[in-house]
Amino acid sequence: MSAVCILTPVVIMAWPAFSAAVVAAASSLGYQVAAEVKKGLPSSEIVHKNTNAVKLEIERSEVVTNQLGRDQRIAVSREGVTVTFSRDARGKAALCVTGNGQSDETLRALGEELSQAVVQQYVYQKLMNEMRSRGFNVVEEEVTEDRSIRLKVRHWEN
Amino acid sequence: MPQREFEITIGKTGEVELHVKGFKGRGCLAAAKIFEEIVGEMKSQQQTSEFYEPEEQVQYRIDQRH
Repeated sequence: MSAVCILTPVVIMAWPAFSAAVVAAASSLGYQVAAEVKKGLPSSEIVHKNTNAVKLEIERSEVVTNQLGRDQRIAVSREGVTVTFSRDARGKAALCVTGNGQSDETLRALGEELSQAVVQQYVYQKLMNEMRSRGFNVVEEEVTEDRSIRLKVRHWEN
Repeated sequence: MPQREFEITIGKTGEVELHVKGFKGRGCLAAAKIFEEIVGEMKSQQQTSEFYEPEEQVQYRIDQRH
């Protein structure tokens, strides 16, 4: 072994890749896609009585899109909690967590868990695509009990 | 042609721990740089004892016969 590095992800992606990461992360945590629309998804904006809402953003993220794609949103739900992902005015990935009867702390924790899973999926997909294109060979892959993804990769060098 | 091995752990927050194996000397830093470009920012880096070993060199001996 020669070196051990810790890398912090920077999430830069177009909307289709972002929504794909949201779908993959959400399904791994038992959420179902509620809606994906270009505009006017009500769940994050219209907050009913007894419904709490918490807004979060994904740090070090940028959702690249053209003018037409700016209002795109995707919502996923599980057991009365709905998480709506969108691109905020600064281009960052944002999410709004709503739920009936849950405290703000609970909604925040659920939102953070899901947004972290989205970043993990993004990193996994990006690594797999880039390694494949650079001739790296994935020889082992497993998801551990703590939901980490472990990869063993080999590369022959000239 | 040397084989390089990498152990990658993508934590549940998306943070990546990378173990670079099979390099001697500074070659491992170049390899780690590739992953930094893919993932994002290098938060920390720790070299192990192999890092301080001399870099691999290939020597050729050519004998000229008349």
